[in-house]
Amino acid sequence: MPSTAHPNRPLILTKRDLVWVGRFDAMASPCEVLMAVESKETAELFLRIAAHETWRIEQKFSRYRDDGIIPRINNSGGATIPVDAETAHLIDYAYQCHQLSDGLFDVTSGILRKTWPFRPNSTIPTNKEVDALLPFIGLDKATWNNPDFRLPSDMQIDFGGIGKEYAVDRTLALLTAKTNSPIMVNYGGDITCNRSPSPNTPWRVGIENSKEMIELTSGSLATSGSTHRYLMYDGKRYSHVLNPKTGWPIENAPLSVTVKGDSCTHAGMLATFAMLKGKDAESFLEAQNVFYRILR
Amino acid sequence: MSTSKKQTAANISRLLAGATCTLLNQAASAQDVAQDTNDPKWDVETAVLYYSEKDRVSAIEPVFSATRTFESGNILNIKAVVDVLTGASPNGATPFDGPQTFTRPSGNDSYTIAAGETPLDDTFLDTRVAIGAQYDYSLGRLTHLSSGLNFSNEYDYQSISVNTRVAREFNDKNTSLSAGFAFAADSIEPEGGIPKAFTSMPEVEDDLNRQGSSESKDTLDLLLGVTQVINRKTLMQVNYSFSNSEGYLTDPFKILTLANSSTGAPEDYLYENRPDSRTKHSIYWKTKYHRENGHIIDASYRYLWDDWDITSHTLDFRYRWPLASGHYIEPHVRYYSQEEASFYRHSLTAGEALPEFATADSRLGQFDAMTYGAKYGIPMGENGEFSIRLELYRQNGSTVGTPIGDQVNYDLFPDLEATIVQFGYSFQF
Repeated sequence: MPSTAHPNRPLILTKRDLVWVGRFDAMASPCEVLMAVESKETAELFLRIAAHETWRIEQKFSRYRDDGIIPRINNSGGATIPVDAETAHLIDYAYQCHQLSDGLFDVTSGILRKTWPFRPNSTIPTNKEVDALLPFIGLDKATWNNPDFRLPSDMQIDFGGIGKEYAVDRTLALLTAKTNSPIMVNYGGDITCNRSPSPNTPWRVGIENSKEMIELTSGSLATSGSTHRYLMYDGKRYSHVLNPKTGWPIENAPLSVTVKGDSCTHAGMLATFAMLKGKDAESFLEAQNVFYRILR
Repeated sequence: MSTSKKQTAANISRLLAGATCTLLNQAASAQDVAQDTNDPKWDVETAVLYYSEKDRVSAIEPVFSATRTFESGNILNIKAVVDVLTGASPNGATPFDGPQTFTRPSGNDSYTIAAGETPLDDTFLDTRVAIGAQYDYSLGRLTHLSSGLNFSNEYDYQSISVNTRVAREFNDKNTSLSAGFAFAADSIEPEGGIPKAFTSMPEVEDDLNRQGSSESKDTLDLLLGVTQVINRKTLMQVNYSFSNSEGYLTDPFKILTLANSSTGAPEDYLYENRPDSRTKHSIYWKTKYHRENGHIIDASYRYLWDDWDITSHTLDFRYRWPLASGHYIEPHVRYYSQEEASFYRHSLTAGEALPEFATADSRLGQFDAMTYGAKYGIPMGENGEFSIRLELYRQNGSTVGTPIGDQVNYDLFPDLEATIVQFGYSFQF
């Protein structure tokens, strides 16, 4: 029998001027798809495609779903797990990002959450507690021989740092395969679009905690960091961005970094890299010739 | 920042753009796959089960189940089951030192049981076809409804049932309360008609002396349940079920030996008689625990009691053990223990007043049963799985009441052994 625990998650469609606005919740974020299409039927179809693709990615790469690939890898006890093609592409990408960031972007660093909960009033861990986790961090400790992935026992991976931006790009790709009409995908501030809603009106996007509006005619915008997530302890602010090599928060990390890129995944990863650069975030992005905004 | 460092940094961005492009293009090439997941799909489960009791009934049961999840999240399940039963089952009479001859239900023929053997009626041959549909749908984000319709048909038995269940999630979806009901209407039209209670089994070609050709019963089931997420690894479920059946609950093929009060020899065979109402209650508890290493423990317990004085305990334990390459093995142990119905007896005694109700049907007697088995699963392709399940069932009954005369020499509740083999194949299209 099918499980009755299948949530019928709501899809909301409204119209604002000439643009259909579809909304749903996924990946702990409000998700929005703006569609300059004629008929309500088309907008409904596109919204369903967007939501289902996003929910698919959310479920497939969830850390919690028992039948998902991530728990299978994390609970493998050091056994080799064959993965499907899509997971393989993401693992490839994770390796490339690990290398390009000189090991600072690491999909195995999630276990640091155990000692750094970033909840209000939580305290900072001891050196000993942090050091005890370091042997279990480092993508280079895993073995990747596509399609076989082996993660040492007691290590964990997650695609939390890639998933939402990836879903944004996937959604736009699916929709632009069906239409040339202007589409903008905005999942909790990670944004991409194919073209302006009309030749003289770009999409206008606000930046978090800033009055600035950014005009977007094509391409993507992604934000790393949140002005709300940090830890105050003994008068010192600890960033929620952790250095997987030390297990400690990145020193002098910006509050948030917003970057414009070719794709949302590209922009998001650049923003993450910039966060990981700490005090050098601005100079790093300056060297990229990309549009960016940094809040400190 | 030095020039060389800047160049390195710029390189990083360009290389990252390239890597991202590769990721998204590869994903785009897998777009057809992803497109498919936007469309509803059928999850199909097929299985064939062989059930074989030693020297008694055997059954072949093909099962086909197809589940479609719609874009709305609603789920439709359609299921068809065919049961083909052959073999012999105890007719209720006790073994005896000499051969015993019994009339078949039609009244046109008879069968003879050798001295000392448990009387088994080998007329037992039937094909049952059951089809059902169940539809799960949501009312808002937190309320789910499920409704179904089921039919089953066999040569002498028809059943139709409807059910509805509502579940509401609370507490961040960590708690789910559910309530449901099911109503079933069954009718039976046995070969030879419905025997009158405690009348003698007729001789071949005699007047059957029946009370009619068909009977019916109605069953109402109610269920209340709570499912609680204890933590990320543990799920617990507790259900209370109530079931009330009204109507013809007697088995028209079952008889009791009317035994001579001193020797235990059969003087006659009388048709059994059961109350026309039965109310059952049960409490069910189940816990599913996911271990760190991916193993899953599934344990459950059920306590059942009814107004026929039957009580039973069922303990069930499964352990799912993932092996390499997606294979798994799942050992299974089940213990069942039942106390007999108040009107269960191995035989009636000649010269004594007839009780109001009596049955010698071993299914209403006192017995314990153990099932040992294991299931082995092998992934087939992206979403398919082949599985084989092998189980051994062993039932040990005990004699209720004191044997009369020569009955002492026989096992009035013979043990039962059965083997269950199931082949399953599931896939998605």
